Amino acid sequence: MSDVHDLDPQAFLEEVHSFEFWFQAVEGYLSGTTWGHQPDAVEAPMSEQDRDRLITVLCNYCVGETAALEGASGLIVIAPNRLAKVFLSTQVADEGRHLEVFYHRMRDLGVGDPEAEVERRASRSLQTFRHRLLELVASKDWEAAIFAQNVILESLESAVFQARAAGDGTSAGFGENELGRRIAAAPHIRARIGRIKTELDHLVLEALEETTLLLGMPRDEHERLGRAYLESVDRLGFGL
Amino acid sequence: MNDGAPLTDAAADAPPESDGQPERQRFVLDDTGFDEVPKKYRRFYRKWKGAGDHLAPNEVICPVCKVVIRSSRTLRPGDRVYCMPCMSRLIVVRNETTGVLEALVSY
Repeated sequence: MSDVHDLDPQAFLEEVHSFEFWFQAVEGYLSGTTWGHQPDAVEAPMSEQDRDRLITVLCNYCVGETAALEGASGLIVIAPNRLAKVFLSTQVADEGRHLEVFYHRMRDLGVGDPEAEVERRASRSLQTFRHRLLELVASKDWEAAIFAQNVILESLESAVFQARAAGDGTSAGFGENELGRRIAAAPHIRARIGRIKTELDHLVLEALEETTLLLGMPRDEHERLGRAYLESVDRLGFGL
Repeated sequence: MNDGAPLTDAAADAPPESDGQPERQRFVLDDTGFDEVPKKYRRFYRKWKGAGDHLAPNEVICPVCKVVIRSSRTLRPGDRVYCMPCMSRLIVVRNETTGVLEALVSY
């Protein structure tokens, strides 16, 4: 291949939505890892307070990953085309793996009953968001559910993960591009998505703030992470 | 920053293309270690290294995922590029204020 940018647009979409692409991509960053990290990685010393904060952060991650796992799997049924269905199937595999890694990490940290710890510690706003996301999926509202899951949730999740050197923006990119195409073809859906944004994005932004504080990130870093999401909704025409 | 070695020297003295613009400089792209796409596509992307990093004439930043997109030739306004890490199709534009090439998402 001389230049990937010479691909026909449809050939590009077929390629990046394929299971084959996903397989080869994850092979690049997961090969040789165990539970998401290099097997010879050495645990940095941490105080009891830092350990406690990390467990709370992991509890929030687990709620976000569970929401994305349940949401992505439910969306496969109503996805409007084959490419979206196949992509969502790769997202399900990704979210399931993330969830497993975070639960394993909590056990590493000495948490005996991670499920109970998630229930006890996780951000209420994030749990409310999860509940509402699943309602949108159950109502078969493709655009609203994709916006909630792959734009709001994934934008902020990938921002936090990138800051912690642990993830990518594929799911957020899928959401923005899918929704961008839908809005271009049917501009009337914009008002409905705008209402979903007003209702839901503050829930995830609150969880982001809580998480970045627990991680000890400076205030400007928190604002930078939130900006990635705000830029995404601005590109979709929902304003800042 | 660009690890790709140019195949031709600076474009100023090159014969013009059919659209009247100088011939585009060609680049040999090396694998930069970017591992979030399949191996055969890795040379077309790299991570932005932050302050101190800069874009070569064949590079633009993806506004969605902030990855640096690399082409085998000099980029110009109107060119189409793809960001595989976030599945975006983009159009290259020139920022009239800064003069820097940027990429806009084309849904």
